[in-house]
Amino acid sequence: MGKDIREDISWAKINEDVLRSLESPRRLYWVILLVAMLAFSVGIGCEVYQYNVGMGVANLDNPHVWGLYIATFIFWIGMSHSGTLLSAILHLMHADWRKPIYRFAEAMTTFSLMTAGLFVMVHLGRLWQFYYSLPYPNERALWPNFQSPLLWDAMAIFTYLSSSVIFLFIGMIPDLAICRDHLHPGWRKKLYTLLALGWEGTDRQWRNFRITYLTVACFLIPLAVSVHSIVASDFAMSQQPGWHVTSFPPYFVAGALYSGCAAIVTLFIILRYVFKFEEYMTLPILKKTVRLTFAIAMVWTYLNAVEFAAVWYSHDQAAKDVLIQKATGPYAPFWWMMIFCGSVVPLTLAFKRFQTNIPVLFAVSLLLNLGMWLERWMIVAPTFSHGYYPWTWDHNQWPSLIQWGMVFGSFGWFALLFMVFCKVFPSVSMYEVKEMVYHRRLASESQAAAKGAH
Amino acid sequence: MIENNFNRRDFLKVLGWGGAAVTLSGCGFTSVQDGTETVVSYVEPTEYALPGIGVYFNSTCAQCDAGCSITGRVREGRALKLEGNAASSINRGKMCGLGQAGVQAHYNPDRLREPMFKGQPVAWDKALGLIDEKVKTLKGDDVAFLTGGMSGHVKVLFKNYMDALGSKNHYVYEAVSPSVVRAANKKAYGVEAPRLRLDKAKAVVSFGADFLGAWVSPVHFSQQYAQFRKGNRPEGRGVLVQIEPKMTLTGANADRWIPLRPGTDGVLALGIIHALAKNGLSVPADVAAAVKDYAPERVSQETGVSVEQIGKLAALLKTHTPSLVLAGDAAEGYQHGSQNAAAIALLNRVLGNVGKTIEAPANVPFPQIAAQGGNRAALQALNGKLASGKVQMLFVHGANPVYTAPLSLKFKENLNKATFKVVFAHYMDETALQADLVLPLDSALEDWATAVPEYLPEGAQLNVQQPLMEKLHAGTRGTGDILLALLKQRRANEYGKFDDFYAYLRNAVVSIKGALGGGGKDEDTFWAETLSEGLVKLPGSGGNLSSKASAAGLHFPAVVEDAAYPLRLIPSVTANMRDGRNANQPWLQESPDPLTTIVWDSWVEIHPKTAAKLGIVEGDIVEVASKSGSIKAQAYLFPGIHPDAVSVPLGYGHEAMGRYAKGVGANAFAMLDAVSDQETGELAMNETRVKIGKTGQRIIVIKEEGVAGGKQAGKKIAARLASDKVDLSKEV
Amino acid sequence: MSVSNLLENWSKVRHTHPVGDVPHEEYKWAMAIDLDACTGCNACSVACYAENNIAVVGKEKYAHGQAMHWMRIERYWDEDEREFPDQGAQFLPMMCQQCEAAPCETVCPVGATNHTADGLNSQVYNRCVGSRYCSANCPFKVRYFNWWDYPDQENAWPDEMKQQLNPDVTVRTKGVMEKCTFCVQRLTAAKNMARNEGRLVKDGEVQTACQQACPTNAISFGNLVDAESRVHKQWKQQQVELAEDAQAKDEYFTDLRGYRILEDLRAYPSVMYLERVRESAI
Repeated sequence: MGKDIREDISWAKINEDVLRSLESPRRLYWVILLVAMLAFSVGIGCEVYQYNVGMGVANLDNPHVWGLYIATFIFWIGMSHSGTLLSAILHLMHADWRKPIYRFAEAMTTFSLMTAGLFVMVHLGRLWQFYYSLPYPNERALWPNFQSPLLWDAMAIFTYLSSSVIFLFIGMIPDLAICRDHLHPGWRKKLYTLLALGWEGTDRQWRNFRITYLTVACFLIPLAVSVHSIVASDFAMSQQPGWHVTSFPPYFVAGALYSGCAAIVTLFIILRYVFKFEEYMTLPILKKTVRLTFAIAMVWTYLNAVEFAAVWYSHDQAAKDVLIQKATGPYAPFWWMMIFCGSVVPLTLAFKRFQTNIPVLFAVSLLLNLGMWLERWMIVAPTFSHGYYPWTWDHNQWPSLIQWGMVFGSFGWFALLFMVFCKVFPSVSMYEVKEMVYHRRLASESQAAAKGAH
Repeated sequence: MIENNFNRRDFLKVLGWGGAAVTLSGCGFTSVQDGTETVVSYVEPTEYALPGIGVYFNSTCAQCDAGCSITGRVREGRALKLEGNAASSINRGKMCGLGQAGVQAHYNPDRLREPMFKGQPVAWDKALGLIDEKVKTLKGDDVAFLTGGMSGHVKVLFKNYMDALGSKNHYVYEAVSPSVVRAANKKAYGVEAPRLRLDKAKAVVSFGADFLGAWVSPVHFSQQYAQFRKGNRPEGRGVLVQIEPKMTLTGANADRWIPLRPGTDGVLALGIIHALAKNGLSVPADVAAAVKDYAPERVSQETGVSVEQIGKLAALLKTHTPSLVLAGDAAEGYQHGSQNAAAIALLNRVLGNVGKTIEAPANVPFPQIAAQGGNRAALQALNGKLASGKVQMLFVHGANPVYTAPLSLKFKENLNKATFKVVFAHYMDETALQADLVLPLDSALEDWATAVPEYLPEGAQLNVQQPLMEKLHAGTRGTGDILLALLKQRRANEYGKFDDFYAYLRNAVVSIKGALGGGGKDEDTFWAETLSEGLVKLPGSGGNLSSKASAAGLHFPAVVEDAAYPLRLIPSVTANMRDGRNANQPWLQESPDPLTTIVWDSWVEIHPKTAAKLGIVEGDIVEVASKSGSIKAQAYLFPGIHPDAVSVPLGYGHEAMGRYAKGVGANAFAMLDAVSDQETGELAMNETRVKIGKTGQRIIVIKEEGVAGGKQAGKKIAARLASDKVDLSKEV
Repeated sequence: MSVSNLLENWSKVRHTHPVGDVPHEEYKWAMAIDLDACTGCNACSVACYAENNIAVVGKEKYAHGQAMHWMRIERYWDEDEREFPDQGAQFLPMMCQQCEAAPCETVCPVGATNHTADGLNSQVYNRCVGSRYCSANCPFKVRYFNWWDYPDQENAWPDEMKQQLNPDVTVRTKGVMEKCTFCVQRLTAAKNMARNEGRLVKDGEVQTACQQACPTNAISFGNLVDAESRVHKQWKQQQVELAEDAQAKDEYFTDLRGYRILEDLRAYPSVMYLERVRESAI
């Protein structure tokens, strides 16, 4: 087991280490950036083609109108929950181990929401008219349909996105000021000067900052829960077998936290290496994150079982048929893989020796996310292929390369945004690490003092 | 029609709004500006073209020979949609899908637009001149005419032109037609097409007559069927039993569908008579003697129909009188097809249906315009003549024999022995491709004609086919106009006075207005009324019907098996495709076959049991080979077929004709063995024996039916009740 | 535009179920389809293509399940594993059931599908953004999405065939949802005509294209409010209540055959089917 953050690390050293991440990452950084850009351009190409030719290129069909776009949309929305969990929930719970890693988690929230938003767009048959779904003032007094969960969705995502951008930004202000003060003149310095909002670290500023940060954190938590509950409502509020499930909102939130945590583990490992953050992103922190992931994995597994049981013991034959179809039909390999990746693979995390084994954790975290992506697909697709109306059952639908290309591209888009962010903004919160180190030192000193007193 | 009631105030209102709309759409870069749309003048409207208002014209459907009357909706000079004309006793305002697609025959992008001589466009004068030159050099007997079934004034002109040439070689050919049954009817009842009264029958037993799908006059029979099924008619709800080796649309609607061994229809009919006699029905002595060998056990063994079922059939027919027994395609398509039809006619006689549900058709007062139905023997006769080189010049109209002739006839080679072939065509079809001269025809929505349907459900009627709109293509001409021009070459003094076929037709109809029931009217009124109605009901006496079906000479050969070709091929006539002449209409290609729900392709129907034996699964591309040819098509496992038979739909597999028809499916006509009915000489459609082999290829069958495969998964979706569980008498 | 207007009239914007406390006023279009008369001949479906400018999609797109037939004929077999389907097949014409509480209407984010005052489930092509949620939530899957730009597809309407398009019906472009409208263009024309004459549309005055074509008169269509209409009489005689999710008559033995498909989902379809009858003795 690796060492935790040194308590005697100097504040200047912290500044120096973190600011270095803005200057000279390892070469892998550029490789990742390049791959991300390539992947993103594949996605762009697919969308341009689809926009021009029609949604038909996605190889969706008339009963089977939703496909990977919606599944991946839910996946990215889910991903966004981790940031809020780490920064807001754990903040309120005074878990100080979150401090070196919450910044990038928060960035992840923002960027995965932006990615999710893209999927809503590319899914639309008439992308050029997407603004019809927003309640904007217009001379014809035409409103969107406030009954539609999809509309709630649009609103929830926009609200959540704007709130998390604000939260991310507020939490960064003291660090931006550090950047401003330490960097050479240039565009970056101008940027930081602008964004630091004249932070000088006065007592008054700190006090206001704390209150604001706490307030936004409190505001964000219900938003995070609601946004995924609303995504769940897209399905739960519909009438279709396999979707019309009361337990969907908590199930979705649990799934979201789960995939978010898994993604944090992945990114933790990448950032730690790429930006040489071994000193801050320590293995004990990773261990805590992994344990959290394991806990949520078990919650998710439980809720999954609850869902199956609810379907099984209900008298809703259509829903039962969909469940049977998932387990035995053409989607069965994916469905069983989801169960394996989501419920079996995380069991490795229960073993201590794997909790800090970076290669194993990296592999496991990727598998967990694969499982969670499959979960979303398995929620969306089988209901279409085996719905209420037997005549239109369609078991042969398979997403076209265009759909896969856009799914692939979305990872590029996310990685691109994320990697650029980490290079431009400090991805480890300097002031909070300092705080943490300071608190720990105080604690150990007082412990030592207490010992000495005996 | 709603939109015809139209007063000045409404007109001004429409004018105002329409004007505003034009003004609005006139702003900016519109399609009017770039020339893809034209501005319609509201000040000087074209006659009968009221902008924004649909007007309706009556005409006659030409998609098949049933002769349904139609009403075409025309807006801004364009024919948009066809509806049934309620005044016609044939279709009474109703239509089938085939008829609906008539507009697609008209607007078809692959229509011929100018005459072609040896593959090169040629002017009409030149084209007609070529014919003139050629016929001058020939004796009348060297010229032959191959046409589809025809009637009315076009038929008159054809006959007159043949007379003018001195040719007696008129071959009236229809690839699918009830020609054997027609001959059997003539023998049994004295008429070829007696009126069938399903609406009066308490039970209908149909030996393979697909009267709801593609047999004789399906729209008319469908209406009668609806009457027949009404629980609140005095006779009660009728019972339909369909006996056929391959389930047709009618079979799918039957109360009981009985798959019998192909070709044993006559045996079963006699077996039923035997059972009826046993049950105490009085049967004439000669008949009783003829059927004495047809005990249920033997019949059951030969036909594959259970003894119990034969008993039930007899019981049904005994209690449900009057009944009606029909002989259709499935019964007539054998070497002994005439025998089958005769046995079925005998059953009708025994049951006393003649005169009750089988009635005499009306006499058509003018025999020269009466229908002349086509048959298959005509093609064989012509083929023989062509082969012997006796035909120098051939005119083809309303037929596509190169496509519909079995390869075993070698028709295409024989055709090319004629030195000059003139084909009247809508499309560059297989036959037109072989022609020296191709004459492009107006569509049925552009052309003038009259028609007297072969099957007349009530009194005789003369249908008028009139243009619904201006010609789409300047280079096409109406059949009547072409014939008139040809006649002018020969008999100028007789026909020179007619400017065009319209003038001829008007004159011909108006000159007999007295006989047509318009004696008191002046010519213009009578003509205007005729066009407005779209048909004239011909006065005339009902004909006579005799009941002379006899048991004499009925003999059914034992079924001979052929180990090399173990299966029987039943080419099916589907409502969409029929003989393939409408294959280039995309609505019909995309309209699923009702039973298999397959679109845009041919298929081979195989019983699941047979398929299992051969290791065939759905979507396997199988080769169906007869002695005369073979086709490859997708297999479809179909429970509604006798295990000893396979079925392939006709009408697919065109090698030419247009973008929607060409290359879609396989042509089942090609592989038919040239076996004929022994009495009539008609090609026996169901006599071909085939073997089936897998090609190793497999595709996904493109069909409307999903993976559930016609199962309802326990839900009440398409529900059914047994007749004793329901009270139909009080229904609305 | 005013929010107050929206709030005040909310109940009118969406009456989820306009038959109970707020009955239909002048018109409630409804249908009855007699499955005993239906022969499955497909005439209605082709007539619908002709009337409503429905695109022919061609073989390849049909294979991908992208056919646009607003009216489809379904063919069912008995499920008792007999060797032969000796009681024939079951045909069912299926099109938009114009549900009174339509699952598609509530979920559309932009309100492109709405309930009209005369009981139709309307589809506003201009407003549709193509989220396809309506189709996802439709129990009958009778909504058809324009996966391609059909007006530009060679298969659908080559130049000559464009002349056949019905000017009263919009040609749909790519990215919008479409479905059976009960031939709303005909209904509108008939209603306007009647209103000009100061009366209501009489029974039989307006027909849908499918009804008009049907050779066996299996389809009847009309105003359910009008006690004189055939469709009203049929519904009444069969004791099928529009506003019920389970019919009282089904609780005891009846010899009636009217039913609605998937009625228990509480969508309140406006199409009543009459069960097919098969002779029990033969």
